[in-house]
Amino acid sequence: MRKPLSMLALVPDAYGGRGGIAQYNRDFLGAIAEMNIFSSITVLPRQTLDPPQPPQGVRQLRAHAGRFGYSVAALRAALVQPVDLVFCGHLFMAPLAVLIARLKGAKLIVQTHGIETWSRPSKPQRAAVEQADLVLSVSRHTRAAVLSWAAIAPERVLVVPNTVREMFTPGDGSAQRAVLGLGDKCVLLTVGRMHPGERYKGHDRVIAAIPQLVKRGHDICYLVVGEGDDRPRLEALAVQVGVSDRVKCLGATEPQTLSEIYRAADLFVMPSTGEGFGVTFLEAMASGTPALGLDVAGARDALGEGELGIAVSENEVPTAIARLLDEPKRNSGALAAATRARFGRETFAAGVSIVWSRLMEADESGRSTLAASLL
Amino acid sequence: MCGINGIFSFHRASGEPKEVELISTRDAMRARGPDGAGSWWSSDRHCGLGHRRLSIIDLSDRASQPMTSDDGRLVIVFNGEIYNYPQLRVELEADGAHFRTTSDTEALLHLYSRDGANMVHRLRGMFAFAIWDEEQRGLFLARDPYGIKPLYTANDGWTFRFASQVKALLAGGQVSRDPEPAGIVGFHLFGSVPEPFTLYREIRALPAGHTQWIDLAGPREPKPFANLAEVLAKSAADSAAVVELPGRVRDGVLDSVQAHLLADVEVGVFLSAGVDSGALLGCMRDAGARDTRAITLAFEEFRGTSEDEAPLAARVCEHYGAHHVVRHLGREEFVEDLPAILEAMDQPSIDGINTWFVSKAAKEVGLKVAISGLGGDELLGGYPSFRDVPRWRRRFGAFAGMPGLGLLARELIGHVAPTFSRSRPKALGLLKYSSTWAGAYLLRRGLFLPDELSQVMDPEIAREGMRRLNPLERLGKILKPDPGSAVARVCALESAHYMRNQLLRDADWAGMAHSLEIRVPLVDFALLRALAPAIPSIVPGAGKAALAAAPAAPLPEKIVTRAKSGFGVPTGAWINAVSEQTSGRTGQQAEPKGVISRRWSQEVLKGAALTKRPFEVHA
Repeated sequence: MRKPLSMLALVPDAYGGRGGIAQYNRDFLGAIAEMNIFSSITVLPRQTLDPPQPPQGVRQLRAHAGRFGYSVAALRAALVQPVDLVFCGHLFMAPLAVLIARLKGAKLIVQTHGIETWSRPSKPQRAAVEQADLVLSVSRHTRAAVLSWAAIAPERVLVVPNTVREMFTPGDGSAQRAVLGLGDKCVLLTVGRMHPGERYKGHDRVIAAIPQLVKRGHDICYLVVGEGDDRPRLEALAVQVGVSDRVKCLGATEPQTLSEIYRAADLFVMPSTGEGFGVTFLEAMASGTPALGLDVAGARDALGEGELGIAVSENEVPTAIARLLDEPKRNSGALAAATRARFGRETFAAGVSIVWSRLMEADESGRSTLAASLL
Repeated sequence: MCGINGIFSFHRASGEPKEVELISTRDAMRARGPDGAGSWWSSDRHCGLGHRRLSIIDLSDRASQPMTSDDGRLVIVFNGEIYNYPQLRVELEADGAHFRTTSDTEALLHLYSRDGANMVHRLRGMFAFAIWDEEQRGLFLARDPYGIKPLYTANDGWTFRFASQVKALLAGGQVSRDPEPAGIVGFHLFGSVPEPFTLYREIRALPAGHTQWIDLAGPREPKPFANLAEVLAKSAADSAAVVELPGRVRDGVLDSVQAHLLADVEVGVFLSAGVDSGALLGCMRDAGARDTRAITLAFEEFRGTSEDEAPLAARVCEHYGAHHVVRHLGREEFVEDLPAILEAMDQPSIDGINTWFVSKAAKEVGLKVAISGLGGDELLGGYPSFRDVPRWRRRFGAFAGMPGLGLLARELIGHVAPTFSRSRPKALGLLKYSSTWAGAYLLRRGLFLPDELSQVMDPEIAREGMRRLNPLERLGKILKPDPGSAVARVCALESAHYMRNQLLRDADWAGMAHSLEIRVPLVDFALLRALAPAIPSIVPGAGKAALAAAPAAPLPEKIVTRAKSGFGVPTGAWINAVSEQTSGRTGQQAEPKGVISRRWSQEVLKGAALTKRPFEVHA
């Protein structure tokens, strides 16, 4: 007789949230929901920016931005319902998640994304990770960072990479090129926040490379999608190096428009030194547009170790851009298919299913409570 | 005896492993297997296996590896020897298995096919192997109960790699060299790197007596299948009288020696003037070996003095009708070989020098296999630790249990007698560590004590390393379940810590550097089971006396008496001279052995750093 299973997800944001972490949490929770294992999946976010639209089988509670209010809401949610699995969507919430998991005798998964793991966390956060049944990381780099400070069996830290949404597919980018007045220009594209704290993304490096590319005969136009407080500084930089007419900051865009912009670009370039993964690389390649990044951190994974995208060192960026622009256009369909094979929804769902199967396996202490409840 | 390696890209997001990596890792182990090399790829090319061969059983090409089962379902790479292979073969053939070689490797394939992971319980020998199971699309790894054969793994979250050597994994170019603080701290504490840690965070040893399964869902945590403490604990209730010891030793050792002679090439022996190797030579004769070549390492400095082991070893050879080969070693050769020794060390170790030279001598006379008396001291109570550890527990244990007393005494003595404090650092630890068996053992075997780490390494790395290594808890786990007696506890600690992490590992790299297989009949799980009931009754000297009497013609009394007083080896002085040269410290008064070892450990770590990235070493 199957006992109905309940899952509580503590996340910074998911449904109605923006950005990579919210997207990952939606993808993960959606994949879990599709497995039809849990009769109840309750999500408690810290914030929602847009109207939340959770899928069937997932219930999202009202957001609580303050730490105290969030903790009270989480404990309340845990007390009023059974909890068999706690999914902790961010390291910051791990101490609260482990407390709830212990109180309820539930299994605990802690999800790690990127930058939050790169320096040693607080002791309670570290202790929580060390007590988790499984720790998930979006990339091998993030996983290695976790293992550098957590004394946890390496086998319990799994990589479940980001996935790419179905809407990003190859197609004709000429309409968007016309809208943006790109003509026959060589179009470079970066999609990412322009935040003073995230200058590692590498917009500066692309802008600095433009003069030499132009000198070599490439009629460059650099599109920047995303918003952030660092935008004025980047625009000033473009003026300073004399390429302000070649840099277009488009701000935030609707997903559908973004998809068309990817298709319109000749090359997606994001020479970031600090990506936890770099989902925009996947979006570009799934749209059939070649992607260039640095062979460091999570970008190595997103670029498929150089087999999908192009992974180079920092000082090779200008020459690599020039070489890629000179090359004959690649088969966009093949690139998109190869990207989907390694990072598509199906692969992601298989990864989540593996997480579930690993959780079910009997651990050292014998048969897990989850496994027992399914018998 | 061989070198094995493999790569398995288990994650759906990962690409195919590269041939160049598989071959680079494999061929970094050329010395382990100079007789041949092979590689194999799964049909989807997501799993590759490599092998370098030192042919010892079934020398034909049929027995080459990687070896595939007849039905193509299983593929194996194997390093080691299965001594009960003839019995297993008979049993498997009776069950319908069809053998196409006379190698023990093929027996492993048939046994896995029949018993799956449970196969490990049937094996007697030293082994590290990996079997690719095409049907289950997974990789099965196993390592022998004592950890005689090495097996290292690296998992980056997408791809799983394994090899017989740490340096071979690094040679593939895809494994991170980020340092592991627990491994570095472990080396400073013990003079060798305690498993499962290595100097590199991503590389871990598959622990002795464990198996591991890796499939598309990734590597699982290693599972234990054999535990020394459990064997000793089970026998505690059934302990045998002291009078039974000689008989058990005689039967058990002869049986083990017989098993260890299985080979299609000549089997020699390392012979000192001690009891262990002499008794083994006697048992080899009892087991039917004739004209055995026995290699003795002798030192130029001792030639013609009472410290020279060669004359007594010659008497043992005469006694058992063996052919004696004496290899003299001088300081010049030691200094000349030192860079090669440091290069061959897979992981830093403060020992292994003697094994290097005796293996070199064995290779010079054309031997591929040699029996060694390693393990006798651990099994039969031969170390001073069998006396010291229980005594410290008795005398200081109760005081050490009082919180803060150890620290107070340390501070007090440090002020009142600073010279004593410097020259006898461990004496100060008695009141801190003697409250547990693990603590007293740490004190006995420790090179540096935890409180001293900040003197030799970055304090932050030391703190983090101590947290990750947790040496007292780790040593404490060796005693679970409780072996039940003082002798059995020290036996477990010495076997599962010092012998596993230091002696056996040294025997592996030092032997393999000369393409020599070192066999250790006194490190045998079947022998342990046979002796376990009698181990609690061993009193100082009784174990070795029983071993000396094990051959049909017991060791001459003179050998036994002389061996008790021990022999000097000048390598300590040579090491000291070398480290004095490099540290600029000369002409000072003689120092205790422990202090020399401490300085040597720093040299070794620097030597290890020459070929890798520099570790934090404060001279």
